[in-house]
Amino acid sequence: MKPRHHLDDATLLSYSAGALPVALAVVASTHLERCAVCRAGLLDADRIGGVLMQQQYVDAPTENARAAMLASLDAAPATEPLAPPVDIVEEHDPDRLPSALHPWFGNSMRALRWRRVAPGVQRIRATGIGDGDLMLLRVAPGSKLPLHSHGGSELTMILDGAYDDLLGHFGPGDVADLDAETVHQPVTSPGVPCICVAATDAPLVFSRWMARTLQPLFGF
Amino acid sequence: MRTMALHQLVAEVAPSRAKRSVSPSANSAVPDALYWSMQMVAVATQRDRTSFMRIYDHFAPRLRCYLGSLGMQDSMADELVQEALLTLWRKAGMFDPSRASLATWLFRVARNLYIDHVRQQPEWLPIQKGLERLEEAEFGRPDSQPESFFDQDILKQAIDRLPPVQAKLIRMCYLESRSHSEISDELQMPLGSVKSSLRRAFSKLQGSMRASR
Repeated sequence: MKPRHHLDDATLLSYSAGALPVALAVVASTHLERCAVCRAGLLDADRIGGVLMQQQYVDAPTENARAAMLASLDAAPATEPLAPPVDIVEEHDPDRLPSALHPWFGNSMRALRWRRVAPGVQRIRATGIGDGDLMLLRVAPGSKLPLHSHGGSELTMILDGAYDDLLGHFGPGDVADLDAETVHQPVTSPGVPCICVAATDAPLVFSRWMARTLQPLFGF
Repeated sequence: MRTMALHQLVAEVAPSRAKRSVSPSANSAVPDALYWSMQMVAVATQRDRTSFMRIYDHFAPRLRCYLGSLGMQDSMADELVQEALLTLWRKAGMFDPSRASLATWLFRVARNLYIDHVRQQPEWLPIQKGLERLEEAEFGRPDSQPESFFDQDILKQAIDRLPPVQAKLIRMCYLESRSHSEISDELQMPLGSVKSSLRRAFSKLQGSMRASR
């Protein structure tokens, strides 16, 4: 199914600029893998980058640099072979995680080692993200999370299951790109657990968020 | 189909005549994007080094300056510029001017090298390659948005018309790779305002291209 909730234009623009904190960029890539609408938006953002790059100007290349360039052409392998046509039929293997998540969580949903952080809530935190916080969350069906807002930017994409909040219904592929001001109360749909990948732009903000979110409900 | 038309054009427009059309003094009948596309066709089909070096002479200093503005050290920037242009030489056959102008294409290559080398985001290059192949496959569908040869000029004018704050934020993103929070801290501007200004700027720039298509 095509995603109905998309990346914010400000997020797309920073992704294009290479200015999005790593954790947020991983979630954005995960959504872009699923969403042709956002891929088209990204191409527009890259066009802006192309114009800005072309407006940068310094001195002409030196003769040495030109000679080095020409020499490297001689050493280069002839041409890149054309890749076979891509198969864009949506993959239906429910066990396979999106490619953008492989470096952080591996490629298999079944192989994930969840840790319980509260009744009905399990989590896996990515390690080695210098820039922000990235995690997978698995919330039991029919759970109501307390009303909360976020200190900074938060980006969440649903991998499986669904939830509803005042912004609408979020199913697989949908992304919630939230401002610090947004206050919401997600309620997971009945049936299967809601599995999502979530990123925040600063670890400190996340700790506070997690504490505020779970503390009133689960008492820790 | 557009590429076929270009093959004919490149035969008709001699490089020297085309070259004149981008000189500042000439009243340009051929938009820059079309001129560079024709050079790319010559590189792809004839392995033409003269055309390649025209591309190099124009874009290498600009890419170098762009990477420098992101805070990259001189030696690494030089190395990556050469790597970007070498990628162009090897993959010229895959360049499709109706999808993206040469400037857009080179921006992507340089941006991806920056994220891979400096930000060291794991698997960034294969992930981007995957996204580009999806884009390639969906191109030509009725809802796809081909880049017109005039888009760059229209965008340039639209960027010049942005209100000063929006123009500043766009530049801080693209040319200093500042995150929303960093911009918010530096300009003492609420995070929500940073995002909404960027959103408005993007929508204006996108609208300027759509209006021309």
